[in-house]
Amino acid sequence: MNKGYLCLVLHSHLPYVRHPEYEDFLEEDWFYEAVTETYIPVILVIERWLRDKVNFRLTMSLSPTLISMLEDPLLQERYLKHINKLIELAHKEVERTRWQPEFQNLATMYLARFYEARNTFERYNRNLVIAFKNFQDLGKLEIITCAATHGYLPLMEIIKPSIRAQVKVAVNHYEKTFGRKPKGIWLPECGFSPGYDEILKEVGLKYFFVDAHGVLHATPRPKYGVFAPVYCKSGVACFGRDLESSKAVWSSIEGYPGDYYYREFYRDIGFDLDYEYIRSYIHPDGIRINTGIKYYRITGPTDYKEPYIPHLAQEKAAEHAGNFMFNRQRQIEYLFDFMHKKPIIVSPYDAELFGHWWYEGPLWLDFLIRKIVFDQNIIRLITPSEYLAENPRNQVVTPSLSSWGWKGYNEMWLQGANDWIYRHLHKASERMTELAKEFSNTNGLLRRALNQALRELLLAQSSDWAFIMGTGTHYHYAVKRTKEHLLRFMRLYEDIKANCIDENWLAEIEYKDNLFPDIDYRVHQ
Amino acid sequence: MAILRRIKSRLKDLVTTKKKRARSTRKTKLEMKKEEKLTSTQMEKTEKTIGLQETSVEKTKFYTGEIPKVAPRTMPQELPERYGEDKMVAQTRDPWWIHVYWEIKDSTLQRLKKELKDDFYKAKRILRVYDISNIIFDGTNAHRFFDIHINDYANNWYIDTAGPGRSWCVDWGLLLSDGRFITVVRSNPVFTPLEGPSWITDEEWMVPEEIFARLYGMGFGLGRSSPVGKAWQERIRRELFSGILASPGITSVSSPVKIKERKFWLVVNTELIVYGATEPDATVYVQGRKIQLRPDGTFSLRFALPDGKQVIPVRGVSADKLEERTITPIVTKETK
Repeated sequence: MNKGYLCLVLHSHLPYVRHPEYEDFLEEDWFYEAVTETYIPVILVIERWLRDKVNFRLTMSLSPTLISMLEDPLLQERYLKHINKLIELAHKEVERTRWQPEFQNLATMYLARFYEARNTFERYNRNLVIAFKNFQDLGKLEIITCAATHGYLPLMEIIKPSIRAQVKVAVNHYEKTFGRKPKGIWLPECGFSPGYDEILKEVGLKYFFVDAHGVLHATPRPKYGVFAPVYCKSGVACFGRDLESSKAVWSSIEGYPGDYYYREFYRDIGFDLDYEYIRSYIHPDGIRINTGIKYYRITGPTDYKEPYIPHLAQEKAAEHAGNFMFNRQRQIEYLFDFMHKKPIIVSPYDAELFGHWWYEGPLWLDFLIRKIVFDQNIIRLITPSEYLAENPRNQVVTPSLSSWGWKGYNEMWLQGANDWIYRHLHKASERMTELAKEFSNTNGLLRRALNQALRELLLAQSSDWAFIMGTGTHYHYAVKRTKEHLLRFMRLYEDIKANCIDENWLAEIEYKDNLFPDIDYRVHQ
Repeated sequence: MAILRRIKSRLKDLVTTKKKRARSTRKTKLEMKKEEKLTSTQMEKTEKTIGLQETSVEKTKFYTGEIPKVAPRTMPQELPERYGEDKMVAQTRDPWWIHVYWEIKDSTLQRLKKELKDDFYKAKRILRVYDISNIIFDGTNAHRFFDIHINDYANNWYIDTAGPGRSWCVDWGLLLSDGRFITVVRSNPVFTPLEGPSWITDEEWMVPEEIFARLYGMGFGLGRSSPVGKAWQERIRRELFSGILASPGITSVSSPVKIKERKFWLVVNTELIVYGATEPDATVYVQGRKIQLRPDGTFSLRFALPDGKQVIPVRGVSADKLEERTITPIVTKETK
């Protein structure tokens, strides 16, 4: 008999980065890297669980922008080009490192992994969303949705129609993609403010997640802390993140990913090797970038790095999985005695942390799930909807405004570097509401323009732009994207109001910002 | 008081006219006129376009599906600095701080100048922050308020309310020398969340203080000791607000460049290029492994060269396998 539950959640998201107007675009690499290093490795791990009949449970959010990119033919074509380049480079590396077996082994490993990535990609007809859909249809993976473009909702407090649009577009997109309604939602950055649950209820969502203090600082006090979900007054359930298990993986100081045997992220041959040699595998402008081929392990807090030794890293991943499981068992046993109720430990992580940043992450996940399923019976893996079906009685509270971002509230997205955007985002949103009200029934060109206006607004609202402005890297790109979508929106607004829509230009931006083909601007109200 | 009321009603009028105007296309024209970055030729073009637009707006009433032909407008290159309205928006940053941004129309300021004459210039520009927790604020019933002096040029401000778990409203206004305060724009209400657990408990879901304290500490990942006292609270605050557990967001995929501490460094590596040529249809082996020749019979190989001695036999075999030649470079590398 189990004494508690573990709910593992992987949140997968990338902002919509797709530039058909350029042959090669630096920021598109985020997507290609995540496909090779995170999404495909996670798919392969899940496939192996299914093959070995591992009765696993995993919850994953796939943001609508990420789904749109995974399904986009242009990006699929470009990914293939990208992985082929990597395969070519890996072949060269196997040759080049002939007299250094410690590196040649690694080059051979990368070559095999790149081939495996390409095969997987082609096996699913270049559309990896199908893999996730299949896993969900088998009843093991619960896929939840996210806001349409990962807009940070607490800073849309005064423009509720945009919150509604973010949620509704996401839910409609999910239904079209997966052929069913989503049960839950990952609120972007766990950003929640009291009352938003009402909007979630309108579209039939059953649950969402907040950071620990969102539940712990709820009113009234939550009897079980974060170890049981709570209901909002609307009846939508809210799960709180457990920070003890988060710390084990997240923390750059205490977390597993910092282990000296794990692969070092910052030593990439894109930076390390001779310029002339690597030139055709980095950015066409000659800017050195990561290729994904990395030969060193973290080694220690020094610049001196030892070569990476895969089997030692693998042993570490197994050890860390065991440690994670052991700690959850103790945590659950303790809480069980204390609460007189089976606790649920909710451990959400950014999916892109696994594989891309923490190279051994997918392996760790593989070990962890197998150990939990086969080696013990204190912890039971569960999805939120399963938990709610089995434990329908929960306390009703109002969770607190919170996020899982820097400092726990809105500051990451509202600080000196990015606060200027809200004046414009709010104005654009008000104008969108005005348009939706004014044009309730349309067709043809006008309708296309109105739908595109909503696309542009949503794209401008991606939390990623404000986030990047706050962190500094890729700053100019984030500013450019914010302005570009706002300016496109404004021109659409004026053209629509003046009834002089330029069809050529509209077609051009429909081609550039082509996501959500079935969007209906009337959701913005 | 009477004057104040009069000004207020004027302001109200202003707001109504503003709304009315917002609906007319004339406003667009005014706004476009202000667009400083337009060159004169562009300006003329825009004027012309707008003239046409006005007509076309009229036309929409009789719209039958035909698209009026209008010269395409130029794409604006920069976001407007202002939108021509009296507006103030407040947003929460965290349990203590709120942020406000605002915009005031020139015409509003002109009107106030006319009304107040010299007093307008002597008046202080003030942000008045009202505590409006649990009330419906009517402008006079705030629990308390405090003022922040600001300059003429600011258009946004971070305000330390020092009051988690409360609701706030902010006015931008003029504080006259006789102590009267004239509200020019008022923000939406905004609330700051609690910085700790709620004091309100639920009868049905009662939880003893001691047990809640433990659950609270565990929720923050602070282990199982029963947490009491100030030091513990400090620890939670540190944990919560440090950002250690914050989501890395997009940085987890955007390949962040590691910030190097200022430390001089030097790295030297060596590679060896082995190249040559033979008959295009010959077969060449380097260290026993067959290699690919270019169509013209040339080849070149590149190896990372570690310390030590490398013996590199290069063997060429003719297509008819009758001839064979081997050349063996020997390279020794040492690093001092």
